[in-house]
Amino acid sequence: MKNKTLNLAMILLKNGSGLGLKGSSTATKVMMIVLFAIAIPSMMGGVGAFTVFLIEPLMKIGQQGLVLTWGIGITSAAIFVFGIFYIISTFYFASDVEYLLPLPLKPRQIVGAKFLVVTVFEYIFAAMIFIPIWITYGIRISMGPLYYIYGLILLLLMPIMPLALASLLSMIIMRFTNLKRHKDAFKIIGGLLAMFLGIGINLMMQNMSMNLSPEKLSKLLQQGQNSLIGALPSIFPTAGWAGQALVHSGSLKGLMYFAICIGFSVAVFAGLLALGQLIYLKGVVGLSETGSRRHGHGLQGIDKGVEKGSVISTYTLVELKLLFRTPIYFLNCVIINFLWPVFLLFPFLVRNEEVDMLTEISNAINQSDAGGIILAAFFGLALFVSGSNGIAASAISREGQELYVKKYLPMSYKDQLIAKLLSALTLSYVGIVSMVIVGIVLFKIPVTTGVLVLLTGWLPVLFMCLSGLLIDLYNPKLDWDNEQKAVKQNINVLYSIIIGMGLAAASVIPAVAFKWSITVTLLILCSAFLALDILLYNVLKTVGVRRFGNIDC
Amino acid sequence: MIELLNVNKTFNGNVKAVDSLNLVIPNGEIFGFLGPNGAGKTTTIKIITGILNADSGSVKVNGIDIKEEPLEVKRSIGFVPDTPNMFLRLKGIEYLNFMADMYDVSTADRKERLQYLAERFGMTDVLYDRIQSYSHGMRQKIVIMGVLIHNPSVWIMDEPMTGLDPKSSFILKEMMREHADKGNTVFFSTHVLDVAEKVCDRVAIIDKGRILFNGTIEEMKEHFNRNESLEKMFLELTDSEK
Ligand SMILES: Nc1ncnc2c1ncn2[C@@H]1O[C@H](COP(=O)(O)OP(=O)(O)OP(=O)(O)O)[C@@H](O)[C@H]1O
Ligand SMILES: [Mg+2]
Repeated sequence: MKNKTLNLAMILLKNGSGLGLKGSSTATKVMMIVLFAIAIPSMMGGVGAFTVFLIEPLMKIGQQGLVLTWGIGITSAAIFVFGIFYIISTFYFASDVEYLLPLPLKPRQIVGAKFLVVTVFEYIFAAMIFIPIWITYGIRISMGPLYYIYGLILLLLMPIMPLALASLLSMIIMRFTNLKRHKDAFKIIGGLLAMFLGIGINLMMQNMSMNLSPEKLSKLLQQGQNSLIGALPSIFPTAGWAGQALVHSGSLKGLMYFAICIGFSVAVFAGLLALGQLIYLKGVVGLSETGSRRHGHGLQGIDKGVEKGSVISTYTLVELKLLFRTPIYFLNCVIINFLWPVFLLFPFLVRNEEVDMLTEISNAINQSDAGGIILAAFFGLALFVSGSNGIAASAISREGQELYVKKYLPMSYKDQLIAKLLSALTLSYVGIVSMVIVGIVLFKIPVTTGVLVLLTGWLPVLFMCLSGLLIDLYNPKLDWDNEQKAVKQNINVLYSIIIGMGLAAASVIPAVAFKWSITVTLLILCSAFLALDILLYNVLKTVGVRRFGNIDC
Repeated sequence: MIELLNVNKTFNGNVKAVDSLNLVIPNGEIFGFLGPNGAGKTTTIKIITGILNADSGSVKVNGIDIKEEPLEVKRSIGFVPDTPNMFLRLKGIEYLNFMADMYDVSTADRKERLQYLAERFGMTDVLYDRIQSYSHGMRQKIVIMGVLIHNPSVWIMDEPMTGLDPKSSFILKEMMREHADKGNTVFFSTHVLDVAEKVCDRVAIIDKGRILFNGTIEEMKEHFNRNESLEKMFLELTDSEK
């Protein structure tokens, strides 16, 4: 039985993981590899630098181990966020489900195999965030060889806990929202419900367990020796244990926590398989039906919504409608813009009368010299959010086999690309607005800074939209049979995320390193992105348009 | 009028889908494009509509070269593709409205045509449903309506009758007749000989990317003796090349 699960996982990996490089030219491949070679290290370098920045003050109070727990916590949260979309898509909306169901497989084998596939994909994220923190800490604190061995194994286990939680939520919700009509709407509601529940549970648990009395806290602080790790709560208990295992890797205590981590992960996986056996099928059967109403609108009814509109706005609106109405696109491309700000707050949303992390942070933010860093951070977030929604980077891929329709419409390719750009820009900008609101309300950033971000934030966003669209034009993934492949298993989106993260690091690091003032940051970043935008727009207008015309379909 | 002059198209460097093709599709007649599977019908149509670029040769629609004025040409064409599976998440009415906007149809015109077309194709009840919930034939009809709503002078249809029920198929043929009689161009592909024989004024037969016959139905019948069935002629035509 175990073997069948593994075999199936291998087949699913081979079949689905074609990230879309197959058909592309050598030049494209080389370009992409170079891009990876620059972007990933710079991203990891950024995380590493940030770790150094955090570790020094913590060492003074003997709490440096918090860096590890935070690192693992953030990694787990990131995996959970990406995972919940991914799990729903893979478990329920992938077209292979229809081929797998008639095969003589147990539900738990399907669930197990699909879970493993998602786990493998999440290693990319786990590695990019955790490795720099782990290595930096190891070097700075001069840890022994066991630290590295534990770390490697813990990295491999890291996605299990958050993904199991994501699967649990998805399976339960899909089981109960699998209603007969309005399938799309319920898919979307189910997905949303799962995500909000996830956030809610996380906040609740953090609130509950963070109610340390001030006396206890100051006692823990005085103890030093990483005493805070154990007290730092999380929805993922494994984060705390893994932190303990690493910090105490030299001693028996470390081994004990390491064993607990392994045992717990195995138990969670087994529990998930058992649950899958029970409820997976009930959620998945009949998912592909669509409801229709068929009420006679009569002739007078046709008047509704038939006003003439401008070509670009109509096209943009249709792009947006398709994004909102296709469940996979909605969850992966739309909702994520609204939710990133919230997810990024995970580690900070710990409230308590005595230790109010938010207040601490907003105090730090409101130091007179932090303005430049805040602005740069917002630019960084904007780059990251607009890159990771993948709207621009899958704008051509999403057309799939129907791309030819766009070729015979009497609308110039340039206008079509502009409309695609506009739809991506609009949704990504909404992401910035929600980030600014969170920043002002929760972190008490100055309103003027918020307004500045709103006025200038479209510059980095436009850059991400332009670069994403160009990447997708060069190597569109058109040959897909379910929408998930267009946005989730599309390497162009990954490139876009990496470019976003690399540029985010490039924006934030100098602002921190040189302590730029808000004016200097504004001037440098705005002029840099304006120049880049103009450059890329011109590339899109010429090379991009030509490329669009030459895509065979 | 559509003029193809020495058009070539090769896929992946070895599949010659269209081979030195010369074809003139005149106004005022229904022109059928016949040929077996893989003959190059869809490829030719895709070149005329601007979906594919020809490797060489020129394509003119109403005297305008598609390479020089692609938008002008596209605006004058109404195209029904062979697979009507686009914009499935839009409602029928939204799709029609999108097409009307693309082809610059005024609000008054689109309302009038919408009512007429919806009624004629029996689609009034489902216009406000998503295309996803339509049957194959209904999808075909919504695409045809999307073409007729902008009233193009040139109709190009890739196997438009497949999937239509007899009544809808009859209505479509009737409309094609009316359109051609007004002096417009109607060009459609099919491999159903019966349809070609009943509907077309003129046919071209294509195989392996080459035109094997081009002329009126009468000429074709004369050419192959009056009494032989079209099907046999067709087989003869395609075989004689070997
Ligand atoms: N995108 C493509 N890539 C490679 N080869 C193609 C492509 N499209 C068509 N071909 C090849 O071109 C030739 C002509 O195909 P085409 O679709 O034009 O035929 P058809 O006459 O429309 O056939 P049918 O009656 O089956 O629709 C075939 O040999 C086909 O394999
Ligand atoms: Mg064809």
